Amino acid sequence: MKMEDRLRSLASGSSAEPSQTAREAAISAAMTAFEKAGEEKKPAATQGSGFAGRLISSATRNWSDFMTRNRLATSTALATVLIVPLAGYLTWTVTGQQSPLEITSEIGRDIAGPEAEPEAKKDKQADAPKEQEVAVIAQAPLADVAQPQVHAAPPAGTLFRGLAKTASERQTRSFSMDGALAQKPASSLPSPIPFPNPDRDRAAAPENRDRIQAVSDNPLKIVKEEPVSTFSADVDTASYSLMRRALNEGRLPDPESVRVEELVNYFPYDWQGPDSAETPFKANVTVMPTPWNKDTQILHIAVKGYDIKAAQRPQANLVFLLDVSGSMNAPDKLPLLKSAFKLLIDKLQPEDTVSIVTYAGNAGTVLEPTKASEKARIIAAMDALEPGGSTAGASGIEEAYRLAERAFVKGGVNRVMLATDGDFNVGPMDDASLKRLIEKKRESGVFLSVFGFGEGNYNDQLMQVLAQNGNGVAAYIDTLAEAEKTLVQEAGSSLFPIASDVKFQIEFNPARVAEYRQIGFETRALKREDFNNDKIDAGDIGSGHSVTAIYEIVPVGSAAVSVSDLRYGEKPAEPANASSEIAFVKMRAKRPGEVKSELTEMAVTDGNVLPALNEAPEDVRFSLAVAAFGQKLRKTQAVSDYGYDAIGEMASQSRGSDPFGYRAEFLKLVRLAGALDR
Amino acid sequence: MVMRNGALAEKREAEPAETCDLQALAVLASNGDRLAFAQLVAVQYDFIFRTAWRWTRHREMAEDVAQGVCMKLGQSIRNWRGEGAFSTWLYRLVVNAANDAHRARQRENRKTEGYLNYAVSAAIEVVEPHSDSPTDELWEHVSQLPEKQRTAVMLVYGEGLSHGEAAGVMEIAESTVSFHLHEARKQLKAMFEKERAR
Repeated sequence: MKMEDRLRSLASGSSAEPSQTAREAAISAAMTAFEKAGEEKKPAATQGSGFAGRLISSATRNWSDFMTRNRLATSTALATVLIVPLAGYLTWTVTGQQSPLEITSEIGRDIAGPEAEPEAKKDKQADAPKEQEVAVIAQAPLADVAQPQVHAAPPAGTLFRGLAKTASERQTRSFSMDGALAQKPASSLPSPIPFPNPDRDRAAAPENRDRIQAVSDNPLKIVKEEPVSTFSADVDTASYSLMRRALNEGRLPDPESVRVEELVNYFPYDWQGPDSAETPFKANVTVMPTPWNKDTQILHIAVKGYDIKAAQRPQANLVFLLDVSGSMNAPDKLPLLKSAFKLLIDKLQPEDTVSIVTYAGNAGTVLEPTKASEKARIIAAMDALEPGGSTAGASGIEEAYRLAERAFVKGGVNRVMLATDGDFNVGPMDDASLKRLIEKKRESGVFLSVFGFGEGNYNDQLMQVLAQNGNGVAAYIDTLAEAEKTLVQEAGSSLFPIASDVKFQIEFNPARVAEYRQIGFETRALKREDFNNDKIDAGDIGSGHSVTAIYEIVPVGSAAVSVSDLRYGEKPAEPANASSEIAFVKMRAKRPGEVKSELTEMAVTDGNVLPALNEAPEDVRFSLAVAAFGQKLRKTQAVSDYGYDAIGEMASQSRGSDPFGYRAEFLKLVRLAGALDR
Repeated sequence: MVMRNGALAEKREAEPAETCDLQALAVLASNGDRLAFAQLVAVQYDFIFRTAWRWTRHREMAEDVAQGVCMKLGQSIRNWRGEGAFSTWLYRLVVNAANDAHRARQRENRKTEGYLNYAVSAAIEVVEPHSDSPTDELWEHVSQLPEKQRTAVMLVYGEGLSHGEAAGVMEIAESTVSFHLHEARKQLKAMFEKERAR
């Protein structure tokens, strides 16, 4: 027999079934340990992120203790059965929360599937008297501790039954994750027992020192007073990754860190793009009923940039400015950064050049401009990076610009790619002068993109400002999959701009639209007069990029109109053809390297209106689900009556082919947020 | 990463949402959510016990290991910060615990039987009586392998993980896992040959 086949038989020898006694003892012991750790560790709960190293050493260190203790427990079977569940029960009564024992069997049934059900039921019956007994014994020692709720508690049997029901209800509600968001289970009534969770809030709150600019929602505008909305197209996506990270860590993101347009524009959409490079981009406009308000409509504008074929790509001169300060020494920072940039190097063409500058203590050039054809050298330089020292961002950025200018490719892409875990310590330079430096360099043709890593110290606000002023994207990279998306899937769009200073101006027809509200883009708003001013900087659209802007509009005569007409106001003069035009969209953009912008215009007419939401293309509906989710996380009032389950339903029905699984991940995040937001 | 976690394996592979479910539960638990932790342990106990049993082939030892893992889980779930799959992290706990138990057993045996006997009989004598199916002879040899090799063999062949997944659990490079497996096969072959020669 071959060794390989022989070894496979190792898997088949699992005939042992766990015994119920050992199972209960272990679970109770786990609960006790959990409680105890909670008491001890509250202040430090989220400190540090290098869990792996610590975990192993502490496992080894504590193991001998466990073994001694466990031997005692298992050898005296009676003690195990009685004492350990008792401990669990006491803790439960004292804290007024649910019993780990009851939950055990309920959950076992819910998750392990139908085949486990009879067994679990049997166990529960067998346990019931035991628990009652335990509860009675529990009264005695507790009386001394004087816990009033213990005396007030109903007989243990009923209590447990009630709780078991609640437990299973909660279970169905928050964790029935098999895509059945649509059918809200009949049992999903509000839980009779409030479930305060101070630990969760306490653990998440104090450690996070991320600096995020607070922006309030775009207000509702009255068309008669402010018929024009102007904004800069921008396609940063950092907010999405930050939101995902927060949810995956079991907390809702800070409402102010959620930028709806970044969430919406995170996803690749299959908008119809222009056919040739002559027209840099094309707008697809849809008007349809609002999912979260029957009295309003959505104006959905999706713009897609022309996709440059690889052969037409200009040569690239990239300078990686990498933060290797001591704080980058975490699995989700420097190692992830290295892997991420290696992915990017694979995507380059042989003639492109790469340089590497580090900033930590003394900023230094690690790699002089090197052709991408010498991939081995670049990778070796990357691998040699070690974390250490403190961040000295400013001198690093100057050095990076110096290298970028040395290898400058005329007519090509010259870009500094800054990767950092956050507080960009700029030494003698303050944020404003750093911004000026970046602006000055932008004029000379060297752009800046910013990639954020890690969490806890992340300066989102500064990163946004830097990237916006440097004509680049700001992305937040928390997983290798995200690095793949930002640096490889979207390499074209983040590296090769096809239109710069892209501005939008939407004028609403007061005869048709009474009020409007832009969803997202709060930080990208421009003044009305800035639209025609080519000196005003705005966002860039890269090759194959798309930008989606969404307005909620209140048609004239709708029940949702919030402001009534002025008694002394003038009736607006009706322009010719007004009745069929809802709004007028203007876009302005410069071709790369040019100073004068070109204007594209289109009218939004009744021809763009769809009578029902489900007639809209999948991508439109999905982007609306994302917009609704973003607003929900921002606690925007407009969506307060629109639940996470409705968002999940809309998203899952418009999921499409989803080749990279981004939308599946979104569905998961909606469920997670729904479970956390109550 | 989809991992095969004992009883949940089939269900989870068919429906990726289940993986999220476990991960989400773990995330809530790591933030100090008591109910979520209770659910997590209840759901995972069977997986923990079965894995422990496969690594020890001894009910009492497996129960001890499983209980230790559960306590460890309660102690350190708050330190798990949602990086990587929870199942990988849990595997790591179980594997470390099983290896520690294995080492303790070896120490005991060494004391009683002396160092010379160790090479032939370590870790086996105390094991529950079992049939002499080829798996058991094999298992005895496997349990004599150096720790890294044994861990790699058990993860890949016993648990059915891919080399990459095993690398995640052991926190070593995937190529290193392959190397350990290669070495392990070589050693096992030698052990079987020695056995046959006797």
